[in-house]
Amino acid sequence: MSALDVQGIEAGYGARSILHGVDLTVGDRGSLTVVGPNGSGKSTLMKVVVGLIRPSRGRIRLLGEDVTGLGAPARARRGVGYVPQEANVFRNMSVRENLKLGFEFIPSRQPSGFAGRLEAMLDLFPELADRLGTLAGHLSGGQRQMVAMAAALMPAPALLALDEPSAGLSPRNAGLLFAAIARIVESGVAVFMIEQNTRLGLGAVEDGLVLVAGQVRARAPAQALLADPEMRRLYLGAEATP
Amino acid sequence: MTAYLIATLALVAISTIAGLALNLQWGLGGLVNFGLFGFVMLGAYTCGLLNVAGWPPLLAMAAAILVTGLASATVSLISIRLSDDYLAIVSLGFAESLRLFISYEEWLTRGTLGVPGIMRPFAGWVPPSAADAVFLAFAVVCLAIVYTVFEILARSPFGRTLRATREDPMVAEALGKNVLWLRLRAFGLGGAALGIAGSLHAFNYTYIDPTQFGPVITAYAFMAVIIGGRGSNTGVLLAGFTVVLLLEGSRFLIDAFGLLDGAQLAALRLFLVGVALVTILIFKPNGFVREYRLISPTKERS
Amino acid sequence: MIQLVFNGLVTGLLIALPALALALTFSVLRFANYAIGAMLTVGAYAAFGFNTLAGWPLPLATLGGMAAGALVAVGVNELVYERLRGCSGVTLLVASIGVALALENVVRFIAGNSPRGYAVALARPLRLFGLRINFEQITTLFAVVAVLAGIWVLFRFTRIGRAMRAVADNPDLAAVRGIGRRGVVTVVWALSGALAALAGVLIGLDATLDPQMGWTYTLPVFTAAILGGLASPMAAVAGALVLGVAEELATTVLAPQYRNIVAFLVMAVILLVRPSGLFGARWLTR
Repeated sequence: MSALDVQGIEAGYGARSILHGVDLTVGDRGSLTVVGPNGSGKSTLMKVVVGLIRPSRGRIRLLGEDVTGLGAPARARRGVGYVPQEANVFRNMSVRENLKLGFEFIPSRQPSGFAGRLEAMLDLFPELADRLGTLAGHLSGGQRQMVAMAAALMPAPALLALDEPSAGLSPRNAGLLFAAIARIVESGVAVFMIEQNTRLGLGAVEDGLVLVAGQVRARAPAQALLADPEMRRLYLGAEATP
Repeated sequence: MTAYLIATLALVAISTIAGLALNLQWGLGGLVNFGLFGFVMLGAYTCGLLNVAGWPPLLAMAAAILVTGLASATVSLISIRLSDDYLAIVSLGFAESLRLFISYEEWLTRGTLGVPGIMRPFAGWVPPSAADAVFLAFAVVCLAIVYTVFEILARSPFGRTLRATREDPMVAEALGKNVLWLRLRAFGLGGAALGIAGSLHAFNYTYIDPTQFGPVITAYAFMAVIIGGRGSNTGVLLAGFTVVLLLEGSRFLIDAFGLLDGAQLAALRLFLVGVALVTILIFKPNGFVREYRLISPTKERS
Repeated sequence: MIQLVFNGLVTGLLIALPALALALTFSVLRFANYAIGAMLTVGAYAAFGFNTLAGWPLPLATLGGMAAGALVAVGVNELVYERLRGCSGVTLLVASIGVALALENVVRFIAGNSPRGYAVALARPLRLFGLRINFEQITTLFAVVAVLAGIWVLFRFTRIGRAMRAVADNPDLAAVRGIGRRGVVTVVWALSGALAALAGVLIGLDATLDPQMGWTYTLPVFTAAILGGLASPMAAVAGALVLGVAEELATTVLAPQYRNIVAFLVMAVILLVRPSGLFGARWLTR
């Protein structure tokens, strides 16, 4: 059974349609990055998946359950761990409180309690270990992304949804963050990501999907997409050149 | 009965002027004036005290308009850079402070004893039997002047920019309009109209004391603006002559029934005013008359 | 001098609870609740009803008043503010003044205009370290400090406390973390109503009950909350203490009936000089 199954999605803002029949799946332990030029509909797709926009047509299933009609909080409780692009931590609360809040309002899918999950997160993000008492608003951009990701992972979600994780980070911090994302993928959490930086985004996951003008243009193993010179030239821009 | 009607209509005219003032400040400019009753009080006391001190009524009234307008502008300066929530409490704070000051500075205001013997304009020229009718006519003329001036203002570039700052201060700032100066003028002009309302209040009763001025005056003005439709002077006019007339009229009507004592009646009326305010905000948030717009309605809908 | 400071601190504690309630609703709902004074009056009169009509002892009657205050606040939220959801903060502001007018006049309609007092025995003031301390001051001191400590624990260490702070901090993120807004808002109103009611009882003990009592406190309560930065509930308490002492010290130069003028002047100065409040710098916005 796949973690995420999206079929025939059409969606947009008001009368303006942006997505025209998008299908995709993320396997149980799979990972998928959606790349594509600006305005291709990546952000809209993310919002549809996490429940911030209702699609006008199509179905979204989470672990086989139809969640199309549910809003963001209800989907969160059913296992969507969403990390927004901006404002993704509670700035006036400590790192520990952020992690606690990520944990306590969503039924955990693993038996280990708060302490056990906290330990698992500190294994994934060792940089946070000595920052637990710091206000999240006082952290650097890269650390803040890690806190946001750790908070979303606390209840062991069925799907981790990452919205442009590299946005606003320095190349070095982005590199560190994507190393952590690769570890998350490795650990078997299903990951669904949209990303502007194709090299980083595709480098950390198994599968890639190219979205152009609201339609799926290509779907292939991430490495194959990165290696395909035609894809690079047409859709992925110069930055994909290693 | 005619006397009642004339007295009530005079009150309605005064409340409607206050409503028009609030419509300029809040309806057009988004500037919340919870301390409205304080500015009416300032106008009434300036006019009343100067008049009792020997100034002719119309001159005292002119002074009251000036003083109230300037005071409004000054008060708005305190919070003009901040969001509307702050102006609301600042204006209220000014009003409460003024009420305390007037209640206790007896050397100047006679405190809670009040100021009696205020002369109405033209009082010497007309027979006493026609005095109330003449005063009503004067109040209506004042109302007409305020309405005309504010209607011209609302359709002028000043009014349009003011509406733009209400929707989004950033936009107007980007257009190069000086938002602070604009808001200052709007609050000051509204204040001047409240000075007119205050002066008329003093002339109407010929006696003023601090208990006549309270948050109810503010609530009436908000009712008139909300029912009339924010931004629409015509709406405020209509609302004034229906709702305020009904409320003021009920003062005389319910007296006929002996079930409730005076204090309970007053409480009931104010309770209804509060409930009505909330109810209209929920069910008819745009009021009953559309705001004047430069854009045609069909265009706006697209 | 020390006597003045002490009296000022006690006055500040009276203002502290409604100021905290005001800052709490503002931080979560982003509008200034002008009905805070009327909520205080309603709570004080509800406790008065339990105390004199039902004959309950004052501590029990106070709890009853707080429960009534919480119920009224939650009810008003359901009837008014929830229906205006999505409207601008200014619309809610205007609605709250309508609510204030309605609540105050319900009290006036039922209880009349004349001042009332709770049925409590008079006690002689204590003398301690040269301070004259009366019984009401001791009650206020203990009650308010205990409640504030409780609120602090609630905010810091409980699930619902964290949820309230999370919604105040970033409502969109709170939603995607599974925190239901509706439940948090209900708790915020209940808490706010109960705190206002307790303050109402203490103010009624200190002076008398009358339908205007809450309205008179509106200005100092707002000043205290603005001193604290309006969006940070615990800082509002500090603001209240500062204001209480300032008001008391001002009586050496101004007539005591001018307390509210002092509050207004303090507010004007703080808005001109430091509108984020004395302690507002710590609140981090997105």
